Amino acid sequence: MDAAAVKLLAAGLAIGLGALGPALGLGILGYGAMQGLARNPEARGAIMTNMMIAAGLTEAIAIYALIVAIILALVA
Amino acid sequence: MAATGPKKRRGCLGCSFPVFIIIVLVFGAIFIMAFLAGPIGKQLVGEISWLDWMSVERPEPSLPAPVLFHIFGLPVTNTILAGWITVVFLILICWLITRRMKLVPGRLQAAFEAIVGWIYDFCRNTAGEVNGRRFFPVVCTIFLFVAFNAWLSLVPGYGSILFGNHELIRGANTDINTPLSMAVISFIFVAYFGLKVLGIKWLRQYFNFGPVFRAIGGIFKGKFDFMAIFSGIIDAFVGMLELLSRFITIISFTFRLFGNMTAGEILLLVTAYLIPWVLAVPFYGLEVLIGFIQGLVFAGLTLVFASMAMTSHQEEAN
Repeated sequence: MDAAAVKLLAAGLAIGLGALGPALGLGILGYGAMQGLARNPEARGAIMTNMMIAAGLTEAIAIYALIVAIILALVA
Repeated sequence: MAATGPKKRRGCLGCSFPVFIIIVLVFGAIFIMAFLAGPIGKQLVGEISWLDWMSVERPEPSLPAPVLFHIFGLPVTNTILAGWITVVFLILICWLITRRMKLVPGRLQAAFEAIVGWIYDFCRNTAGEVNGRRFFPVVCTIFLFVAFNAWLSLVPGYGSILFGNHELIRGANTDINTPLSMAVISFIFVAYFGLKVLGIKWLRQYFNFGPVFRAIGGIFKGKFDFMAIFSGIIDAFVGMLELLSRFITIISFTFRLFGNMTAGEILLLVTAYLIPWVLAVPFYGLEVLIGFIQGLVFAGLTLVFASMAMTSHQEEAN
């Protein structure tokens, strides 16, 4: 394989594998929020805000992988 | 597609049926033309010459911000310009709103009062009544700067006006230096309140060498307690780990904001390239949401760390 092919492969693997964990995390997060909402519908606002913050934190991990992929594919 | 209007007016989404059908047809035609003009359509059906005006050049995003000009030897990049624009915009809009405050607020004043009041409640709910009031100015500033930076960089003109070979202005947080400086400021803010409230106890969380030195000193007094030395070493090690995690926090603050903003920018560029004119529109809505969430996350984490720094570990255990 030449260098360009390896670079593209590495970029694809980086974002593909790096998105696995945050995807699971977001699923668990949504599960927990829905459960909380079903048990306690009055706490909608608080659950929503905290879920958004946690979702932002979880997404950031996928974004780290995305940066690596972008650097590999476009810059490096 | 349920009719949403009042009962007497038949129609769809506020338009009468013929107007709605025309809108759908025009939008569908634009979508198909844009799809054919984009790279996917070119691959499928080949180049269509009369659709050339629609296709967009392949974007070449650059991660480091290009230097536009120098002021007194200091380089000014396009992201710095965007940061200044955000600051001036916020100052102007706040001055305009607070210049003539009314008891019954107008539309703009009501919107800003809602935003600021919401953050104020958020601070008080997270950090308590007294500390919430203390932390509010910095937290609110961080939120407004991050969110308005992200929202202003969606305005046409950002990234499309050229200065030489580069864009004249680009969202400030797409340069890694801006999030880094904000993360350092948030770290200093947390450390200031930790030192102010807990004093030397705050430093003792990180440089916890007292127990191990006391145990070693005990050897010279004639009592050799192996367990005390061992647990002292573990305490010192745990303190070092806490110190390390404090600095890793700065890095994760930086990369979270930088990554989200840069990825959003590149996402818009790529969608505008894939299916020109059409596909980028829903992602603009996504970017508005992401700017809001990132501002909330940055400000909220600063708030949480600051209120954590004000309670020592001993108090937490009790």
